Amino acid sequence: MSTLTTAIDAISMFFFLIGIAFVFLGMIGLLRLPDVYNRLHATTKIGTVGAFSVMIGIVLKVGLSAMGLKAITVGLFLLLTAPIAAHMIARAAHRHGVGLCDESIMDDYGKTYK
Amino acid sequence: MKQYVIYSVTLGATWCFLHGAINLPNFLIGLVLGLLVIRPFKELYDIDKQTSYRNIIFRIPKLVRYFSMLIVEIIKASIVVAKIVLQPKIDIHPGIIAVPVRTTKDLSITAIANTITLTPGTLTIDVSNDRSALYIHSIDVSDPKELRDSIRDDLEEYVLEAFE
Repeated sequence: MSTLTTAIDAISMFFFLIGIAFVFLGMIGLLRLPDVYNRLHATTKIGTVGAFSVMIGIVLKVGLSAMGLKAITVGLFLLLTAPIAAHMIARAAHRHGVGLCDESIMDDYGKTYK
Repeated sequence: MKQYVIYSVTLGATWCFLHGAINLPNFLIGLVLGLLVIRPFKELYDIDKQTSYRNIIFRIPKLVRYFSMLIVEIIKASIVVAKIVLQPKIDIHPGIIAVPVRTTKDLSITAIANTITLTPGTLTIDVSNDRSALYIHSIDVSDPKELRDSIRDDLEEYVLEAFE
């Protein structure tokens, strides 16, 4: 019994660490990448994985209690809303004339709405 | 009518999860509140569409396959972006390309767009006015044709199977 709880605790700790590491990498990406669109790549994808593994860690730690169920819901909503937020930010930025960085090769979207 | 039942059962389950206790009274409260919530937003829910319960149950394995694919892709995506972020000198060739899609259904386009955003190196920006193409920002567009092919052959297949 106690071995099992220790094992589950260790696994949940592992998920917490993975999550925090990914969120940390996402923040580095936010600082290092050149323009809005590339930065969104860092925050949406890495942010989703980071937050999701923290939620898995919580579920493993507290089980299917009130907190665990809420963590599952938060994780699913995050999976659903993070891409939509990224899409809206990118679209608004592009329509306001925020240019792509100098390394960019092509821009098919620019010609469509002017 | 069937649509009402499906949506309110979903909303009832959501209510249970948000409340933090899964039991019958909670589910019934959620069910009743769900019916009240659906009423004013009728236009958004496409109530009059014909569906059968069998159709939905048959779709579950495909949805499971789609979601497992999605989870694997998200983890891959994070590792790809993490690698780029940790390079000493960031060497990327980003750009926006138009990628044609084969469907015109709202739900499928939303699903494809969200899946694209969560998969490695790509981010959906907008859908064209005639709904025939998605504008996608990619971290690496040195080979636009290959990128289009990979989206059409891998992602779209799964999404169309699961949602159409």
